[in-house]
Amino acid sequence: MNDSVTPQLTLTLGHLYPDQLNLYGDRGNILVLSQRCRQRGIELRVVVLGIGDALAPDEYDMLFIGGGQDREQAPVAQDLHETKGIGLWAAIEDDMPVLAVCGGYQLLAHYYRPASGPDMRGLGVFDAWTIHKGPQVARCIGDIAISWNGSTLVGFENHGGRTYLGTAQPIGKVLRGYGNNAEDATEGAIYRNAYGTYMHGSLLPKNPHFADHLIELALQRKYGKKDWSDSSVDEAGEWTQEVPSLERLKTANFDPSLALTPLDDRLEWEAHAFLLERMGLQNAAKAVLSTHNS
Amino acid sequence: MRKQRRPVRTPRGDLRLGRRKSTLNHAEHSAGSPETGARVRRRLTHSKRRTSLRAGLAVVGGRTAGALSRRLHLGGGTSIVGLVAQRMYPDIVGHLATQLEHGSVIVTGTNGKTTTSGFIAAILSDAGLRVWRNREGSNLMGGIASSLVIRALPTGHLRRDGRAISILEVDEAVIPQVVQIVPTRVVVFTNLFRDQLDRYGEVDSVTTRWQQTLETLSKDTILVLNADDPTTAHLGEAFGGRVLYFGIDDPTLDLSTQQKTDERHQVIDTRTCPHCGGEYTYKLRFFSHLGHYRCTRCGRQRPQAEVRAIKVQSDDFDRTRMQVSSLVMETANKKEQEIIIPLPGIYNVYNALAAVTVAQALEIGWEPIVTGIEQFKPIFGRGERIHIEGRTLRLLLAKNPTGFNEVLRTLFSEGTRRHVLFVLNDNIADGRDISWIWDVDFERAVHLTSTLVVAGSRALDLALRLKYAGVAEDEMITVTSAPLRAMKRDGTLVTRNKRRTKNRNERYGIAEALDKAVHETPVGETLFVVPTYTGLLEIQHELERRGLTPRYWEGRDS
Repeated sequence: MNDSVTPQLTLTLGHLYPDQLNLYGDRGNILVLSQRCRQRGIELRVVVLGIGDALAPDEYDMLFIGGGQDREQAPVAQDLHETKGIGLWAAIEDDMPVLAVCGGYQLLAHYYRPASGPDMRGLGVFDAWTIHKGPQVARCIGDIAISWNGSTLVGFENHGGRTYLGTAQPIGKVLRGYGNNAEDATEGAIYRNAYGTYMHGSLLPKNPHFADHLIELALQRKYGKKDWSDSSVDEAGEWTQEVPSLERLKTANFDPSLALTPLDDRLEWEAHAFLLERMGLQNAAKAVLSTHNS
Repeated sequence: MRKQRRPVRTPRGDLRLGRRKSTLNHAEHSAGSPETGARVRRRLTHSKRRTSLRAGLAVVGGRTAGALSRRLHLGGGTSIVGLVAQRMYPDIVGHLATQLEHGSVIVTGTNGKTTTSGFIAAILSDAGLRVWRNREGSNLMGGIASSLVIRALPTGHLRRDGRAISILEVDEAVIPQVVQIVPTRVVVFTNLFRDQLDRYGEVDSVTTRWQQTLETLSKDTILVLNADDPTTAHLGEAFGGRVLYFGIDDPTLDLSTQQKTDERHQVIDTRTCPHCGGEYTYKLRFFSHLGHYRCTRCGRQRPQAEVRAIKVQSDDFDRTRMQVSSLVMETANKKEQEIIIPLPGIYNVYNALAAVTVAQALEIGWEPIVTGIEQFKPIFGRGERIHIEGRTLRLLLAKNPTGFNEVLRTLFSEGTRRHVLFVLNDNIADGRDISWIWDVDFERAVHLTSTLVVAGSRALDLALRLKYAGVAEDEMITVTSAPLRAMKRDGTLVTRNKRRTKNRNERYGIAEALDKAVHETPVGETLFVVPTYTGLLEIQHELERRGLTPRYWEGRDS
């Protein structure tokens, strides 16, 4: 059992509503996930899930939902409820990593209350809700930096709605910028492995550690050790459930974190630090460069 | 209605105009025909000496402020002229604009405003009119006011108003205020793309403003609309006056016949029908959402265009030949005409078509149209040629994803290797959000750049975008706008990475970027500079400093 083989790893990313929610360069996030997988010999297949397509949770290892304009969000909200809701819930409860940006984030919370008109119902994955306080309240627009996992995340936000968290955990604390609601210094929400955030478009390019975190979660979920040894084999070594696939057997001892070999991310971290410095976070910039670029 | 008459501030804070009494008068006489203009002028001279005096003071005040600002090197000093004049006399724009014998043509839309108004100006000059433009730069209210005030006398009258027509290039968000105070003969809506979302919120909010504009527009105004853009074409439905459409009718330009499979991704900013929310299907699609569309739900489709490009072919990098068919002038004996456009790209075909339509709406014959467009001199940043140290510099402004994609398509579709300098800034005029670069097909440029210099305040973001497009890091030189302080203090990074050290060479900013790019380009070859809006201004400033271009505020009427 010691001679573990590095298998041909394959991940499938479901990209939800790319035709409706594509406002802020969301393609960048997908591109970064694909390339960072490919450079490690992991194949990332991207499957587009539009309005009317069913979401079978078994077929995906990762999901992505972008942001869009109000007019385009209404049909999406409807489809999310009627077609994909159950599948999406099952996937999230089964620890599938999900990244939901801006409009997608709002749709995964309880509801979105526009300045006028009826509420738009969300899926309620995150215990949070969003209120648009009308055109006289300024939009939250600008560069943003938050703390995350002992490091920083940098991005750009542009949202009119203010999101308030119930029991949902934020991704991090706002260091510069507005975040969820410009009041409580929280940004984003986490439920299991689902992440909702207002940092749009170019979030993953300048935050390679966060991109890798999502990939690692997906690998862990699909190829992780504990997954099958706990449930499929009893003490006597007898199969108790369905016979695991050959692929899964071969990867029995495989540690997904090993698959994530370090890449040359100097440019990424320079861009990250450059933005931190522009926001006046000198020490954070220095910390980032000394951790990652030396 | 009430809402839009409130004093409005533009994002730059240029504008504080509400609807006032004399504006009402102008609106009543907004036909803009020579007779009406003259009548208003007489009224002004007889009964409004006081306002003339006030206008005169405003003119003097504005121009003094402009001169001071230039002397003190506070900038080009163009916007301040209008700002001060407007402060002193809020109706100055209406007051002056009414004096123009041939009224005003307004050009608005996301892309192509400057080139389209340039084409129109060239055609109208060739037709013997005296053309005035707000080309000193700003297309917000301040700039429009400046363009008139600069040409006014201390008496409050325009210097030479006979045979005069003004062509105003107006920002797509300011248009409702402008049409309220400037009597308009023709309004052109070129297209609507996603641009500076951080400034305008969303594309839909611009559409709403445009619809409000039409409500206040006089029925005597002629509306010129792009039939191929669903958003602009849709504006014609509700308008009571005359509407003329222009569009492309050449099936060989369809994307599906030209594109390779890896270029499937295109930014599409309008996908759904504003009436019913149904999705559009396209019989022909030329770029982004421009083409022959039809709503799958309610069946609304591209209107029939009066002015059509029925055959378009590219002779050379910047020589496009198009066959135009027009139904505008019923009396004209010639319905078709070949026109040479001295600029590259399909977007310039649209710009030329818009200009042809405006000219014909003003009843101008083919001859000045053909000569005006063919002998058109590119405007700064729109393909202009500049000679620098034995190399040729060509400036191609790219300020939003669609514009950028079209520039890249123009540069790289023939498979020729190019020398390129990209400048990405995120100042307010560019839009603070630069995540749109991830929607631009930089993949086109891979293996097709001989020289690649990346500069601007967001140079690192662009370098990152190019890296993920597949450009090797050692194929590009990144020149940031400022040093990374943490790295400098740290020191280790600089010394450990020899390649980067060599490339960075401890110098920053636009002058350095320009030097690097020029020196990397062999003598006799062409360097293509592709900047965002303020990047273009910086390049322009740098070229001025080196004595290579005229100062823009000296541009007076031609």
